[in-house]
Amino acid sequence: MKLEPEERWRLIDRVARETVQYGAEKTTIKSTLAELTVKPFTGIPFAIAILYGFWAFFNAFAGFFTDGFFVPLFDDLWLPWIQEAFPLEGSWFYYILVGDPAATNSFEAFGILTSGLFVAVGVVLPAIVAFYLVITVLEDSGYMPRLAVLVDTVLHKIGLHGFAVVPMILSLGCNVPGVASTRTLETKKQRFMMMILLSIFIPCGAQLGVMLSLIPEYFGYIMLYLLAGFFVFGWILNKVVPGSSPEIMTDVPPFRIPTISNVSRKLWVKVKGFFTNAIPFVLLGVGLVNILYLVGAIDWLSNILGPVFTGWFGIPKETVAPLIAGFLRKDLAVAQLSAIEMSGFQLITSVVIISIYFPCIATFSMIIKEGRNSGGVLKVLGGSLLTLVTVVFLWGGLLHLIGMILGVT
Amino acid sequence: MTILLMGHPNVGKSAVFNRLTGANITESNYPGTTVDFTEGHTFIAGKEYRIIDVPGTFSTEPKDEAERVALDILEEHEDAVVIVVIDSTKVERGLYLAFEVLERGYPAVIALNMWDDAERQNINIDVSRLEEILEVPVVPTVAISGKGIYRLVEKIPSATQVDIKDLKEKISEL
Amino acid sequence: MKTKSTMKLSEMEYGERGVIREIKQDLKDQILGRGIRVGKKIRMDTKQPINGPVVITIGKSTTSLGYNLARKITVEVEEDDDTSDGTS
Repeated sequence: MKLEPEERWRLIDRVARETVQYGAEKTTIKSTLAELTVKPFTGIPFAIAILYGFWAFFNAFAGFFTDGFFVPLFDDLWLPWIQEAFPLEGSWFYYILVGDPAATNSFEAFGILTSGLFVAVGVVLPAIVAFYLVITVLEDSGYMPRLAVLVDTVLHKIGLHGFAVVPMILSLGCNVPGVASTRTLETKKQRFMMMILLSIFIPCGAQLGVMLSLIPEYFGYIMLYLLAGFFVFGWILNKVVPGSSPEIMTDVPPFRIPTISNVSRKLWVKVKGFFTNAIPFVLLGVGLVNILYLVGAIDWLSNILGPVFTGWFGIPKETVAPLIAGFLRKDLAVAQLSAIEMSGFQLITSVVIISIYFPCIATFSMIIKEGRNSGGVLKVLGGSLLTLVTVVFLWGGLLHLIGMILGVT
Repeated sequence: MTILLMGHPNVGKSAVFNRLTGANITESNYPGTTVDFTEGHTFIAGKEYRIIDVPGTFSTEPKDEAERVALDILEEHEDAVVIVVIDSTKVERGLYLAFEVLERGYPAVIALNMWDDAERQNINIDVSRLEEILEVPVVPTVAISGKGIYRLVEKIPSATQVDIKDLKEKISEL
Repeated sequence: MKTKSTMKLSEMEYGERGVIREIKQDLKDQILGRGIRVGKKIRMDTKQPINGPVVITIGKSTTSLGYNLARKITVEVEEDDDTSDGTS
């Protein structure tokens, strides 16, 4: 027998009156902190501090494992061994699986078993572990909904949701889990928008790291321009993409101290999921790029793109090569760019182009995989390519225009 | 036999789940949705139970995809025992969901989780009176520390269906 | 002296308390399970600027609602110089 909601509440009120007594409310440090973290004036500085702290942790953690462990492992042991041991050198089979037999590091080899495995296990895996750790702690402590409430004001204006902050933060570490986490958003429209916006405008941790170490003087400008792009194109997509953008409705739970056992269990489940779901896609992606190289599609592309680069974006045609590398690794691409001789403004422009022209292959594979949750793979693919082309030409061209107006090109 | 863990988001449902299950848990995607759910196994009195950590929901009238999945999982397991996990500081809200589960004819056990929070906030809950009125086992728990979990497990085999009509009359006479 | 006035939830100010008098039907069904219902005492915790979401407390539950959802709830607010009176 089912009751009417009003009737149900009437009965519950009676039961509660009979069994529950509320004593005097106490103000504790926790409840004061809880209030301060959702009020805009105190909550926003608090949020910035928290996020910065976690970002610093992420960099230290991922850097420690990637540069300290996986780079030497792959470059010094695995790569030379497989280059030597793999049969049929010179064949297309060798090219796809191992790549360049003379490559001295795992970035440049470009084979499925070399660069593919290295990117998936050596770079993305530490990033994933570090970021899921951060996210789980943020979730279990009860902080996430507070952050969502704070940013909802701005994000809802472009049709997103306060909880879109989760994929945004994740993407600053690595776009791959960022794209995966868009599935927590409520509507197809929001998932689609977020997927596209983050894969275009949010540089990943590896890229941020390289930018900070090689071109720190331009870092601020680049980030500002990308952030502006996020909101401008967010606003446009919100107008263009059909679908609904429901408003936030969430519980704001009290703060709790996360327990190690819960955090580690959740983390283990996520990492296990990454191994079975994402890694095969990353490997496939590398294989696909190799096949495109083999059939000459990429050379053809760089020939066409050369004039566009000098004419439309005002950057040297040598930047085409790093751009291709950017398919696999944006950080590697930025590093290559910084070695090319050009003006400061051209460098800013080319780094912006590297960031927005196409997601790295791992992210792109993830978009294809998650596409079915956001309106169908074909729709998402078509939509993202259309958006990409528009963004690259408009946003990249605009920067060139700004440069011409300022007289710095 | 299947045990469904149901409750609002943020009531420590996953912590209860972690206490009840062993290491062999799997997270899977509910077909056709973006919602993930976790399941595992446990032995109670020599009998194997499958435990599903149902996505958090406020009621069985779904408002979004996660709540729809919660309802689907509930309806798929007609012979399941439901553990309704309630935040002890928000008993009324929790009982709303518990009532909905009972109205659907499921045998249920209520876990008054985060019992320590309620104590700290001077909230007094008369557990035996609650049990007496609802005719459903009610167990205070602190899932994070494991407190009360053993008693919760003990009560699972004794969960029975509740006659809502009788319950309604009884409460109305209070 | 206490004066009472009726307003939308979205119009309440920080720290104000009141009683829910009406919830538009389409929202009512969505928030019943959350314990937000007519007759409950409510406190406005914070309001984000430029029509951002509100954060309210009912009993021990704190909930955030988008601006347009908050507009669908009508509250009778007790305007009182002294804000120390308890909820219970």
